[in-house]
Amino acid sequence: MKFPISDLMEKKLAPHFKNGGKLARLYPLYEAGDTFARTPAEVTQSAPHVRDAIDQKRLMILVIYALMPCLFFGIWNAGHQFNLANGIDATLKADLLRGSAMVLPILLVSYLVGGLWEVLFAVVRRHEINEGFLVTGMLFPLVLPPTIPLWQVAVGISFGIVIGKEIFGGVGYNILNPALTARAFLFFAYPKWISGDTVWVGSLNANPLVDKLLGTASHTADVVTQATPLAVASAAERGTNAAAALNEAGYSLWDMTLGTIPGCIGSTSVIAILLGMIILLLCGIASWQIMVSGIIGCAAMGALFNLLPIDNPYTALPFYYHLVMGGFLFGIVFMATDPVSGAATNVGKWIYGFLIGVLTVLIRVTNPAFPEGVMLAILFMNVMAPLIDHFVVQAHIKKRSAYARSLNHA
Amino acid sequence: MAEFKIRKGFNVRISGKPKAEIEAYAKPQTFSVYPTEFEGVKPRLKIEAGDTLKRGGLLFEDKKDERMCFRSPCAGTIKAIHLGARRFPAEIVIERAAQDESVTFESYNRDSLKALSREELVDHLLNCGLWPLIKQRPFSKIADPEAAPKAVFVNAAGTAPFQADFSLILRDDEEAFQLGLDAMVKLTTGKVHLCKMVEAEIPRFEQVENHTFSGKHPAGNTSVHINRISPILPGDAVYTIHAQDVILIGKLLQTGELPQTKVIALGGPAVKEEYRKHYRVSLGANLKPLFEQALEGDEVRIISGNVLWGDQVTAESAVHYYGAEFFALEEDRSRILFGWTTPGLFQYSAHRVALSTLLSRKKEWKLGTNLHGSKRAMVVTGWMDRYQPLNIMTDYLVRAALAHDTEEMIQLGILETDPEDFALAAFTDPHKTDVCGIIKRGLEEIEQEGI
Repeated sequence: MKFPISDLMEKKLAPHFKNGGKLARLYPLYEAGDTFARTPAEVTQSAPHVRDAIDQKRLMILVIYALMPCLFFGIWNAGHQFNLANGIDATLKADLLRGSAMVLPILLVSYLVGGLWEVLFAVVRRHEINEGFLVTGMLFPLVLPPTIPLWQVAVGISFGIVIGKEIFGGVGYNILNPALTARAFLFFAYPKWISGDTVWVGSLNANPLVDKLLGTASHTADVVTQATPLAVASAAERGTNAAAALNEAGYSLWDMTLGTIPGCIGSTSVIAILLGMIILLLCGIASWQIMVSGIIGCAAMGALFNLLPIDNPYTALPFYYHLVMGGFLFGIVFMATDPVSGAATNVGKWIYGFLIGVLTVLIRVTNPAFPEGVMLAILFMNVMAPLIDHFVVQAHIKKRSAYARSLNHA
Repeated sequence: MAEFKIRKGFNVRISGKPKAEIEAYAKPQTFSVYPTEFEGVKPRLKIEAGDTLKRGGLLFEDKKDERMCFRSPCAGTIKAIHLGARRFPAEIVIERAAQDESVTFESYNRDSLKALSREELVDHLLNCGLWPLIKQRPFSKIADPEAAPKAVFVNAAGTAPFQADFSLILRDDEEAFQLGLDAMVKLTTGKVHLCKMVEAEIPRFEQVENHTFSGKHPAGNTSVHINRISPILPGDAVYTIHAQDVILIGKLLQTGELPQTKVIALGGPAVKEEYRKHYRVSLGANLKPLFEQALEGDEVRIISGNVLWGDQVTAESAVHYYGAEFFALEEDRSRILFGWTTPGLFQYSAHRVALSTLLSRKKEWKLGTNLHGSKRAMVVTGWMDRYQPLNIMTDYLVRAALAHDTEEMIQLGILETDPEDFALAAFTDPHKTDVCGIIKRGLEEIEQEGI
């Protein structure tokens, strides 16, 4: 089959980008566009002579599809929370429009700036553009508050892509999850914009143009403060009940499962995340070991705190709250399972996931400075993953030689 | 004597399975011998173009071990000697003579073979030119005649698409096979293990351990047999040989003449339906007429060996010294519009990323040689081990090989393996890593350094 596009690509565009063409340095850009339109024509050079239809592009696009429930719900929820808090009629249309106005620019900036770095490094290093940044560019906006200034998105994704990934050599060589590296950078560099009580829903007139377009310019603007469930639970005073405090603040267990609460764009809804998780597991492209062990670890540490006789209402919070609160589930499903920065061995994955769950709850409960622990837990375990794998591989080597010796002397 | 169930494995569902019947292929006019097939051998040619010689006449010997002879598969005249890179003889072409005269060697029966010492038998096989059929692990090189190995593994299995069916080959040659097995018993201080698939109709043979394996590919690979029966320890060596080659050795001992024929399987999607079967061909026979008749398609790749682990050859190719199968498939340079996000109904994948995995579970695919993607940096996904029954951490082994860390490669078990064991890892890898090539270079490096 011949498509008009193939003629355009091969006859008109290709000569400029091939060796000797004026734009030869930009070949990675051409190659990316060309193989985006149609799969490459390359044939195998050596055995095996046939190959599976899977490639990195397909792999990454499936992760993007798995993130779609979170993205769509996040857009709606951002608008919904905004409208509720600012006293605007929260119709579906109004919510979606407002949410799109808040979220899509963040997504766009993340992709544009992140893509720019990716292309730049590919051109300088003369390798093909790796599809990995498509996932990073989507994950990063989903873990930001909807009110984040766009320049911070640009700075954050730049840090994540360049320092988190490219200086190590690009996708496949990085130690830390680039999206989380970007978020951690913003978290420590501009804490005012990413934590606290004022960043989660946004107030009117923050962006006059949008208000004008949506017809809300005439409303009076107040600064809206909305604490997240984590902050509420963390602030519960001695002698009170953290679960009751959450209920009082309007965060019932069901609300938190549904996700109709203020929070990061993509990580509030347990249901949307579970949908994504199902896609990932059905396709078999993310490690179920990490997800399962992470959830077990989180629940186990929460339950342990329940049992310990400490006079702190947070420790008494039933363990299942930890599973639905904050960004834990999003982190364990989409961030911890990054195959590059996570543990690589099967046994290692169990340890790695479990410890992420444990550390998340530990940081949440015992460290009042960080209401959310999952980001730091995953980054810490990213660093530890090679060590875990090292011990697993050493054990494997011992077992191998024991097996060989036992059969030889049998 | 044991039965082994191999749980991990994967059969590539490719079309073109050769039927279980043997057709005699007429003797062609030209024959070829490829000295490049014998890795590690430095040939010293004993003939020139124009020389005439009998069947079994000396063509060349190994400079490193002059006892190792390589002999002519037919009586005739040397037509040409094609030189390859660095003037290494790549192909010796022989024009068949009308008269089939043969060099005769000593012949044996089961009793007289028993009286032979190991050295005498080794010298006989070296001199007759059939010794190189026996390979040695680690490194899959031509067996070292000096050191008696701890075991001999005879592979009568073969699960890759599409290996010749040994139960078919064996018919009428049971006696020669038994004599060949007796010879194998002489070579080792330990046991001879005959490994076959559970579904193959192969009787039990004397003097050897009869093992059966069941499971998907690579259950028929020699490495799997060795791993389950008697794993290689550092310093160990085992001999390996394909069952059909044992028949060849048996026939040599029986008749005192070089064997004339062997059976090859011709299969693959680019072979016409009626030609997908086994052929009894003369050793070294040029197959050009057969390929001309049997193949269809615009641009066909012919592989000597199976599709997972074989070498590309030309359409002028002759029957090789090693291997008993040819595979043909089309070069697939098609490009799919937005292939990265199609539902995947018409793409074959071992992963659950294409709908075809769910919907067409039984379909046999007419696969081509397309790479289906571009090369990317390797990401450890664990998928490389999914179909690996050898308890090998493939990702770490590949990393060690890329880092030239010979010590770690050995610890991770590279000596137990052959590049062919990683064909499925390379097949399923989304990053299109050349796993087999990396392992092959790793093994070569270790061999050069010495263990």
